[in-house]
Amino acid sequence: MTAAPPAAAIPPPPLGPTASLLRTTALTHAYPDGTVALTDLAIEVPRGSVGLVGANGAGKTTLFRLMLGQMFPTSGTIEVVGRPVAEDPVGIRGRLGYMPEHDCLPNDQTAADLVATFGELAGLPAQAARQRASDVLDLVGLDEARFRPVGGFSTGMRQRAKLAQALVADPELVLLDEPTAGLDPVGREEMLDLVGRLGDFGISVLFATHLLDDVQRVCDHVVMIDAGHLVVAGPIDALVERTGVLRVEVGGRADAGEALVAALGERSVAAVAIDAHLIDIDTAGHGDDVLDTVRDLVADLGLRLYALSSRHHSLDELFVAEAQRP
Amino acid sequence: MSALSPPSLGGAVYDRGYRPYDGPRGGRSAAGWALWRLTLRRALGLRRSWRQKVLPWTLLGLVTIPAAVDLGVRYATRNTPLGQIDFEFLTFRDYVGVSTMLLLFVAVSAPDVICPDRHDRVLPLIFSRPLTGDDYVLAKVGGIFALVFGFSFLPQVLLYIGQMLVNEDGSLTFVGDHLDVLWKVPLSVGILALYYAVVSVAVASLTDRRIVGGLAFLGAIFIPSIVSAAVVGAANQGEGTIFGVLNLLNLPLMLRDVVFEGEIDIDRDAGLSGVAGAGWAALLLYVAIIAVGLVVLRYRYREARS
Repeated sequence: MTAAPPAAAIPPPPLGPTASLLRTTALTHAYPDGTVALTDLAIEVPRGSVGLVGANGAGKTTLFRLMLGQMFPTSGTIEVVGRPVAEDPVGIRGRLGYMPEHDCLPNDQTAADLVATFGELAGLPAQAARQRASDVLDLVGLDEARFRPVGGFSTGMRQRAKLAQALVADPELVLLDEPTAGLDPVGREEMLDLVGRLGDFGISVLFATHLLDDVQRVCDHVVMIDAGHLVVAGPIDALVERTGVLRVEVGGRADAGEALVAALGERSVAAVAIDAHLIDIDTAGHGDDVLDTVRDLVADLGLRLYALSSRHHSLDELFVAEAQRP
Repeated sequence: MSALSPPSLGGAVYDRGYRPYDGPRGGRSAAGWALWRLTLRRALGLRRSWRQKVLPWTLLGLVTIPAAVDLGVRYATRNTPLGQIDFEFLTFRDYVGVSTMLLLFVAVSAPDVICPDRHDRVLPLIFSRPLTGDDYVLAKVGGIFALVFGFSFLPQVLLYIGQMLVNEDGSLTFVGDHLDVLWKVPLSVGILALYYAVVSVAVASLTDRRIVGGLAFLGAIFIPSIVSAAVVGAANQGEGTIFGVLNLLNLPLMLRDVVFEGEIDIDRDAGLSGVAGAGWAALLLYVAIIAVGLVVLRYRYREARS
């Protein structure tokens, strides 16, 4: 007699938490004036932190509005957190948080009133909404300013207040439309830190931006769109693969880079000097042996080795390359 | 909650982190009710500066004064020869007319609860919640309706209860003699409140500036009324004309008279004396105005109809 495998006793997980974050099938949307914002978009992204990348007018905000059920696609289907939007757009909105790109805060309300208001509008009881407002304002760093009118807030504070109202009802997924827009470098860093922490709270993030560095920093998945077409989508780690180039920074003499390039040439290893101290080495056909070769040559030439790293594609390079592909 | 430093070192710093919410969560109806409550709160100036509270509460006081005066006179003269005179300082029917004083309140409040949402671009945020455009319209119109109804009805309740208590023939006799008031007053006041609410919110939805919304509402009411009065004045040689029905200021009062008297009895104001079917004309115009107002509102919030 064979015992049943332990896994058989475990009930299947509920649909919501395991379903994909966003799934679209042949999604097309054209506005009444004929502008086609999205064309035949077919994507499926898992839960977690997902970057939605594209230039202005690429279709990011249109995709958000379709996800929120504020308008319906011309053709194709769209599912958000495992639920078809067309079947229950209002119900979907109850599980999402949304932070628009543009300024959208009533200036004559205090931050506490504002966030509690949007908690109530998401269906929370009044008392719970006020408690949650207090908690999320604390989380985004506005606890000291909660009783000040939003009209007197700086741009950074307004962005935080917008994020707080998006989080107040504890959404499954929060849609962030350019959350770092208009922020100074310090504010941008703080906002990215906050967004990066949301995954730890069990909140999935769809982060629309045209700043690829921001996505690379806080997201683990990326969807790139251009003029309504899908450019590329996938896990960032897989997309930003190694390029086969080893970058080496050396010093110790004025022509350190050129000397090392010449020495590598004598060993049949192709290398290019970027400047007097920085060179790129083509590792193709050499494997990891090239690392030993570099180490030995640096020692033989009496140079100092400052840095040695494998070069990766950047998301910018990937976006440009894929967008230009016919 | 996790301690970042040991409590034994003279105090602890706690990282409160993030607490998921697992309490009750309402849907569309809860969100709609919340928006309705927020509309009331804003119009009444609650959780706002004292300046925002002055107008609504002053007007509530003003529309209550006639009832208070009526009751005061009745109470002071109840055991005197003056009290034996069956005087009527203000009838329940007349008191519906007192509520037209709320026109100013509506002209200020309706734009205040509508225009900032469009001006400050809050609508996309509101419609990212489980609400539709129709829910939004219902909550905003419902909020203004509730306030006008309440401000019109409460003084009438005060008047009714007060007159009942000071009535020399006994409270039960008074109630028995005034049973019809129990449905005529709420119906008349409801007609007035719906009219003010739909027209004011519809007009306010056409602009994102409060001052423009308020003036446009007053213009929408007064300009046809002035034109109507001019037409009636020019044509009237002791007889009424159907154009009298276009007096939009008096339109809810014409319907009030239909409710109270079964016929239009405001020929002194609207020049409808002797006009056959004037009551029907007033009712049709009322329904048409409400319908146009609702169509305008559905159009203005069509982007969130789903």
